[in-house]
Amino acid sequence: MQVTSNAGQLVTQVLAGEVWPPLGDRHGFRVDPDGNAFLLPGMGGVTLGAHCGDPATGYAADHLEPGLSVRHRDPAANYALQYLTCVGNTVVVTTGPAAGSEGFVIGQHAYVLVDLPEPTLRSVTVGDQVTVFAVGQGLALFDHPAIKVKNCSPRLLAALAGGTGPDGRLRVHVAARVPAEAIGAGAGMASEYANTDLMGAYEVGGEELSLGLQSLRIGDVVALADTDHRYGRGYREGWLSIGVISTGSGRLFGHGPGPSTIMSGPAEAFTIIDDAGANLAVLAAVLPQKEHA
Amino acid sequence: MTIHATSAGLTADATPAGLTADATPAGLRLVDVNLAATVEQASVGSDPYRIDADGVPYVPVGDGGIVLGVRLGDGVWEHPGDHAAPGACLVHQDPAAGYALAAQACIGNPVTVRTGAAAGRAGTVVGKRGEGGRVIAVFPQDTLRLLRPGDQLAVRGRGAGAADPVPGVTIRNIDPALLAVLPVTLGPETLTVGVRTRLPSKLVGNGIGRPTPMWDLDLQLTPASARRYDAAGLRLGDLVAITDLDARFNAGYRRGWVTIGLVGHGGSPQPGHGPGVTAILTGPAGSLRATPDPSGHQGLSEEAALDAVRDLL
Repeated sequence: MQVTSNAGQLVTQVLAGEVWPPLGDRHGFRVDPDGNAFLLPGMGGVTLGAHCGDPATGYAADHLEPGLSVRHRDPAANYALQYLTCVGNTVVVTTGPAAGSEGFVIGQHAYVLVDLPEPTLRSVTVGDQVTVFAVGQGLALFDHPAIKVKNCSPRLLAALAGGTGPDGRLRVHVAARVPAEAIGAGAGMASEYANTDLMGAYEVGGEELSLGLQSLRIGDVVALADTDHRYGRGYREGWLSIGVISTGSGRLFGHGPGPSTIMSGPAEAFTIIDDAGANLAVLAAVLPQKEHA
Repeated sequence: MTIHATSAGLTADATPAGLTADATPAGLRLVDVNLAATVEQASVGSDPYRIDADGVPYVPVGDGGIVLGVRLGDGVWEHPGDHAAPGACLVHQDPAAGYALAAQACIGNPVTVRTGAAAGRAGTVVGKRGEGGRVIAVFPQDTLRLLRPGDQLAVRGRGAGAADPVPGVTIRNIDPALLAVLPVTLGPETLTVGVRTRLPSKLVGNGIGRPTPMWDLDLQLTPASARRYDAAGLRLGDLVAITDLDARFNAGYRRGWVTIGLVGHGGSPQPGHGPGVTAILTGPAGSLRATPDPSGHQGLSEEAALDAVRDLL
């Protein structure tokens, strides 16, 4: 993205995380939109076969978290991990057969979610330790003071298409525009934590559930209409938030594929450009480039 | 089986299997349960501030516990506060017992105080709040002044499992007997409900995607935005209709449906939060009809709520 920022002044914190197991309860089943019970994998642990650029939906999964799902055992250290980690940050596997392998953060979902090449992912399991080079919180765009940037690494900012336009607005390329009706679970929560589930992209149920979001891909950059995510996730007419789809299929009613927020501001501060190629896969081009010291 | 809800009404082919998964056949008797509850103490973190939608810090007042000076019928933005509810919030210290308390207590249920200075006095459940599982109860003002956090109460839970009042319309979180004191008209195939206003589902913030028996729905309204939705006069105890929302299980978007909620707590400066409603009725718009009256609507009054437990007062 062609934009001036304070990226050169940001500090990096080295954070420890652990691949966290999928969690269940003794009753097992949860409830889909029509009241039918389901028991499906997808959340927590290591989830194979879904990477940036792949479809976000169409899986027999619930709360699909691509790649690694990472937490810290200490609650306060975990909040630091979840809040400070940004999309695009470098993650290194530090224990187990994949030790030394490098991936990158694709988002947050009460876990830090990490994409790794599929062959590497196969050799990681629950309990393996990872190191996150967290940098990005505090990022500010000098020419766009109305836009709050969050959860966005300098590397992702650089890799995104667009930038400051001749009219002074920030040009942002998005793969999809999301209507306010689609905002599901995650509303009212801190926007540095977890993500916004989008409704209307279920694999089950009738047409009356659809909000036209079935073609989303993992890593897609999306625009969320009428949302202000500067200080939490809320509805606000005339505002806009930009997110990156970090989770896929959701079977639980009121849930679904979800974006991690990377920017938010008044709609007039942005020029939104529809671009099917607006996806985190652009990071692959800059992956060898280290953003931490 | 499929059900087709359109703006023209409801058409269903026979009995849609998916939609009856949780319906109780008519004729089954409801059971009453005595639940233990404790009067909550409002709690905050080590930082006194929360951050409002504009990034301004504020100290939350009235968020849980016992709140004096807020009553059913008051405007939802009449008192400066954060999620301030009329009366007292009731909890249980064991998390699982707290969820059961929230799930099995219903609006209209009697509450009796068992310990402390107000022992022997009574109140009525008027709503719920989400996350940890909280029940909101109103009491006569002289009782409320005697309550103290930690006081033990008994809630006579009744209403969970109630049969559909009309085919396809689900009742939740309210003792069916209390519908008689609300502006609800029962027809052979439709239920018509008088409400303060009709709101689009996109205004539902915290509570969307959460189980409605244990979580209320915050309306993302501010005094400034409320005028656009005929909600400027919104009061505690009001009924509101939310369009395109199915609240049978979790709350979620479903075109052509309507959910009726009862306003149980006031506004909030937090983004994604606001006045909260407890879902009481949900179904296709053809079967569940809402008639808004922005200036004259009368929802659940304190008098009507306490009348439900008059014999215990």
